[in-house]
Amino acid sequence: MIGAGALRGRAPAALLFGAFALAPVVVRDAFFLDSLVLILMWGALSGAWNIAGGYAGQVSLGHAAFFGIGAYSAALLGTRWALSPWLGLAAGAVVSVLAGCVLGYLSNRLKGPYFALATIAFAQVLLIVASRWRGFTQGSEGIPVPFRPGLWTLGVDRRGWLYLALGLALTVYLVEVYLESSRIGYQLAGVREDEDAAEALGIATRRLRVWSISASAALTAVGGALWAQYVGFVDPFYVFSIDLSIRFALNAIIGGLATALGPFLGSLLITTLETSLRATFAGVRAGFTGVYLIVYGCLLIVVVRFAPDGLSGLAARRGRRDSSRARA
Amino acid sequence: MQALPQLVVSSLLLGGIYALIAVGLTLIFGVMRVVNFAHGEFLMLGMYLAFWAFTLWGLDPYVTLVVEVPLFFAAGLLTYALVVRGVIGASHNVQIFTTVGLSIVLQNLALVAWTGDFRFVRPWEASVVLHAGTAAFNVSQLIACAVAGVLTAGLVAFMKWTHTGRVMRATAQDRDAATLMGIDTDRVYRLTWAMGTAAVGAAGVLVAPLYSVYPTAGLQFVLLAYVVVVLGGLGDMLGALAGSLVVAAVEVAGSYLFGTAWKEVLYFVLFIAVLVLRPAGLFGQRGAEMLGA
Repeated sequence: MIGAGALRGRAPAALLFGAFALAPVVVRDAFFLDSLVLILMWGALSGAWNIAGGYAGQVSLGHAAFFGIGAYSAALLGTRWALSPWLGLAAGAVVSVLAGCVLGYLSNRLKGPYFALATIAFAQVLLIVASRWRGFTQGSEGIPVPFRPGLWTLGVDRRGWLYLALGLALTVYLVEVYLESSRIGYQLAGVREDEDAAEALGIATRRLRVWSISASAALTAVGGALWAQYVGFVDPFYVFSIDLSIRFALNAIIGGLATALGPFLGSLLITTLETSLRATFAGVRAGFTGVYLIVYGCLLIVVVRFAPDGLSGLAARRGRRDSSRARA
Repeated sequence: MQALPQLVVSSLLLGGIYALIAVGLTLIFGVMRVVNFAHGEFLMLGMYLAFWAFTLWGLDPYVTLVVEVPLFFAAGLLTYALVVRGVIGASHNVQIFTTVGLSIVLQNLALVAWTGDFRFVRPWEASVVLHAGTAAFNVSQLIACAVAGVLTAGLVAFMKWTHTGRVMRATAQDRDAATLMGIDTDRVYRLTWAMGTAAVGAAGVLVAPLYSVYPTAGLQFVLLAYVVVVLGGLGDMLGALAGSLVVAAVEVAGSYLFGTAWKEVLYFVLFIAVLVLRPAGLFGQRGAEMLGA
């Protein structure tokens, strides 16, 4: 699967994830741990988005659809049939793979902006269904997810959550590493860079695209299910929102598209920014929670314009410059 | 079929408004090949302009329109210079995320400045109901549709018969050839963006009395406008006009048959179906949807 070569140059990642793993041993502060859990979760979700949006070049603005499917699966199975969120998580992943196949089919017929628009419409349809189908989803009221202590019911403390989120983050990270160093990863890069050439070389471009979107969808649903259990409430207008879809893409773009660590770096920056700006402005005036989103939007405009390879790209450029200087 | 006259009248009135929203978008999409995700935010800002002019100075939205056009034209020039100009030749992804970023910024500026409260503009004409046979509608709807119709027709005529319009169409057809003919494409794009912005801002002012005003009000309209634009064929203004009537008819008939709660599902499904089955639009030729560089 992942050879030794694939792990070369992964020291920053080992350092980052190692620090997260050790944090609960050192710090007990609930607010701080909560921030770490969120950084890991949003990082993992952006990493999942990165599989389709970065590695396969299928920019989706509707990934909230899969997140919502995961969140609702966990919440509905938990509240209606008192089943474990682990089962909800699995069910969400399966449903998302099916939905991912639908989007994958669309991606084979639609290019660039059309695909992005179709994914928005796709998530909007699910949002409307979830918020109007009162008999099944409780409509726009949303679903409170009960806290039931125990690992099987995912009722664990913050430290437990940190390791759960870390597990998800590592899983996503390893999938990304696999995509950077395996045959299938190179094929995906071929599809992204020049589809005609890839097809001429005998790569099954259509199947690959469906595969990448489905894998991305399944991981996003798993993240959604865990998130629902962590936060304890599923609100259709949040879990299916376009804002959420943009957030997944934003972390990955700011960190570096189609890089394994990029989404996590993006999440580290954005989530920290969000938490601190929220804490600063929350008391001032109700509307000021929007301030961090203004910063967010400006950052997005500036990054895609001046640093399209994101933080990882900047680091790589600096690294090259240093090494060339060392040689000279 | 007692309801038929009402359905027809409602579709026509709604279609006129959708046309004005979509015409600005199809102009930008067609000439500049930029997918503008911030289009709905300018609509929202137009709605707020109508709201504040009405609340603070008692100005009727149709008076506000006179101020709106130059104001939004200038706002268009400004956003073009600051944000759009740098990504004109860039990849679709860069353009998508740039306009998404612009949309986030505008939405949240509105949220911070004016809070997320739902606001209402209710001038006197919004409560005057007219009857035509068995169909009923209010004066605001009629004025919005009529003014939108005039503005849309004006834009179409501008594109067809003026020199600048011809230059814009030439740039839309083939940017390189246009440049070789000595056309200043940067100027064309600047003008296109500003005109599209002014048009959608006008639509915002006109619909303010009909819908509630809030920071994310633009989203539903922008998605709808894309449905219209794709249906009508990219950059095709008359197509957009026809597309908006189709979408309005689907919406009105859908609300009548399934209830208003589900009408949006109907046009998103229609949207995806059109994208998949007829990506060149209802009347377009196959291949016309390919976005040239």
